[in-house]
Amino acid sequence: MWIWFFCLLLALIAIRPNFEKGVIIKSVEEGSSAALAGMSRGEIIKEINGVKISNVADYSQVAYPNIKDTNFSIKTKTGTFSFSSKELGIKVENRTIINVSDAARDAGLKEGMLVLEINNKKIANDEDFYEAKTLFEPKEKFEIKTNKKSYTLMLNKPLDISVGEVPRTRIKTGLDITGGSRALVRPERTLSQQEMSDLLAVSRYRLNVYGVTDINIREARDIQGNQYMLVELAGATPAELRDLIAKQGKFEAKIGNETVFVGGKADITSVCRNDATCAGIESCTELQEGAACRFRFVVYLSEAAAKRHAEITSNLSINYTQQGNYLSKTLDLYLDDKLVDSLLISSDLQGKVTTQVQVEGSGIGSDKAKAFDAAQQNMQKLQTILITGSLPFKLEIVKLDSISPMLGKKFVMNILIASLVAIIVVATVLFIRYRKIKPPLLIMACMLSEIFITLGVAALIKWNLDQASIAGIIAAIGTGVDDQIVILDETRTGEQLSQKERIKRAFAIILGAYSTTFVSLLPLFRAGAGLLKGFALTTIIGITIGVFITRPAYSDIISRIEK
Amino acid sequence: MNLVEIWSRKYKLWLAFSIALLLFSLLYISIFYARNGELFYKDTSLTGGTVLTVYEAGDITAIETNLKQKFPDVAVRAISDLTTGKQIAFSIETSADPDALKKELAAEGYNITEANSSTEFTGSVLSQGFYRSLLVALLIAFVLMAIVVFALFKTIIPSLAVIQAAITDTTFPLAVMNILGMRVSTAGIAALLMLIGYSVDTDIMLTNRVLKRKEFPLLKRISDSAKTGLTMTLTSLFAVFSAYFFAISPVLKQVFFILSVGLATDIISTWFGNAGILKWWCDRHKIE
Repeated sequence: MWIWFFCLLLALIAIRPNFEKGVIIKSVEEGSSAALAGMSRGEIIKEINGVKISNVADYSQVAYPNIKDTNFSIKTKTGTFSFSSKELGIKVENRTIINVSDAARDAGLKEGMLVLEINNKKIANDEDFYEAKTLFEPKEKFEIKTNKKSYTLMLNKPLDISVGEVPRTRIKTGLDITGGSRALVRPERTLSQQEMSDLLAVSRYRLNVYGVTDINIREARDIQGNQYMLVELAGATPAELRDLIAKQGKFEAKIGNETVFVGGKADITSVCRNDATCAGIESCTELQEGAACRFRFVVYLSEAAAKRHAEITSNLSINYTQQGNYLSKTLDLYLDDKLVDSLLISSDLQGKVTTQVQVEGSGIGSDKAKAFDAAQQNMQKLQTILITGSLPFKLEIVKLDSISPMLGKKFVMNILIASLVAIIVVATVLFIRYRKIKPPLLIMACMLSEIFITLGVAALIKWNLDQASIAGIIAAIGTGVDDQIVILDETRTGEQLSQKERIKRAFAIILGAYSTTFVSLLPLFRAGAGLLKGFALTTIIGITIGVFITRPAYSDIISRIEK
Repeated sequence: MNLVEIWSRKYKLWLAFSIALLLFSLLYISIFYARNGELFYKDTSLTGGTVLTVYEAGDITAIETNLKQKFPDVAVRAISDLTTGKQIAFSIETSADPDALKKELAAEGYNITEANSSTEFTGSVLSQGFYRSLLVALLIAFVLMAIVVFALFKTIIPSLAVIQAAITDTTFPLAVMNILGMRVSTAGIAALLMLIGYSVDTDIMLTNRVLKRKEFPLLKRISDSAKTGLTMTLTSLFAVFSAYFFAISPVLKQVFFILSVGLATDIISTWFGNAGILKWWCDRHKIE
């Protein structure tokens, strides 16, 4: 019986109903002021500048700084450029510009230029640059209070974080209830384990690029052994999903307007991963705010691609900086025609036909550990991009569903009402049969606790509850009631035997029934490409909890009552 | 109990009735198979095709007639709210792919968007794979269940009596679906799978009590089991039946329908069929 209470408690903790007000941070842009201040995913923002935040609407009203334009004067090796804007608008690496905003570009600034001074402040290295940014960019003060701590930030543009409503419980609901799109994708041939994990990683990255955060991608198999990839996106349209999945993913590396190499075995022969000799984190340094770690990995190009690289780079000029000498143009990586990264090209590579190219980059975080993680993530992202477009197999979408979220709420209400009615009906029948109030009430309590514990287990293993799963829970309740009735009747007859003996016999029957139901549902784990897994899983969890937890508790209580 | 005594005098008759039900189901399904080449009518989740659900009221007959020209196998159904009786949605089922269907609907003047509709599309190769694997699952479930039953009771005839009940409880609902012309979905087959384990509960309870409890006379053992067993089945039956009424989703409705019919059948297959066989066997072996 104590096990029962213990499990109820565990379930409560697993479900963790949340009445906290505020908005939850769903993601933090790497290297942004929010990240450097230490804000992280999962924190709940409760107050901004003294205004209490209870939902996303509140947040949108308060979180946008009111900034006026300021004058910037930037001296580079090629000349001095002035413009007026809300922010500096340029990104540098080793003082070389790698990214330019529209306002800066209009003033004449371009990628590859070396920054010497900003507003008459000398820039000798990247630290000076960040100092200048902090000094000269107009900023508004924001006091942000979260459930973890208070932050004071100077911002000139909205926080680079995405927020959402705080989820009320930890129970995750499936697509049938939240709405979204689901695709079941089949590769044209059987894939090896590595190929399958590449496919999942590439798909995940490409979908992430669209800023969709609720993505569920996993492998699925069916009884005949066919492999599938199951993709579920909350809130995306099936057309987008189809384009993204069925198409291979176009990858191009360009210098300026000329293409150096594209995705595919013809140009990229292999990318170094999981091998410490040619891929890994090199070093970490402390910055004025936070820390940065550098990574590098080797990409092996074909002869043709290497030759092209040599030709295109031989015509570029060189920028000499303190951190190293780099070419005037960057190597831009495009995925599905979107720019995903710009890499500096070391001057040693100019004009050389080399099939081994070292890709370098960095990750920033509020401390060394976070910077390390960021660097690793960035490295993996780049590696994934480079493999994209070179997946050697075609994909076919064999199932595509789109579910409108409108049904979700109605559906949940409907199912709750149906379950409630079922429970009341059962209670009535039991009352008619036994003519006493206590046993039916007890059975009701057990049924409700069983539902609760099953939901707790589902929340714990992060299982997405879908329509099939909920049907499974109802089915498990049905068997549960049957077992309580068996126990009840056994304890009322057989006066010759002790209470213990009677309960033992009841359990013999119950275990028999349990095994048959368990066994008949097992095949559902594989059949139907795992789409019916939810039904089998929740039913099996439900009846297992029933047999091993609630029934023993129930029989304890019954024996105490009947004594 | 008087009822049990009445039963025990003519129990062979009641047993025959239960066996007749089993034979009828098997026969009907075989004839159906001979006529249609399939064990049951399949819906698009098993044949391949599209189910488009639109969350607005619409004229069912008009839509179906308009679509029949291009999609001869189209079926349009209304989905109504339980409490008000008003139509809240309609669903269109066809073996064509969703784009073709949506284009035709747009041409007819219906406004279908992502917000007001849900689409489910299953490729035909995949759905045939589903069909095959679910049939295999049904077979495996049966075999596993039979093994468990034999392991529990270790005697042939009583175990076969339990298995006979399971077969009746699964095939009769299928025969009913065939008679009514209902199309079975993947969820429906999952419901049949559930029935295999679910309905067997009462039979296991009965057989256990009859074989292992020797302190009461046979008839009392059977009548006590009947009291317990009928309570079990009736509670489940009423619960599932009310769920069938309240559920809006067609998928869930089918699941609860199959479970309802199966549980109702269980009353006959257990208390006429299984009990009859057990009594016969006990009389043969002089067990009192």
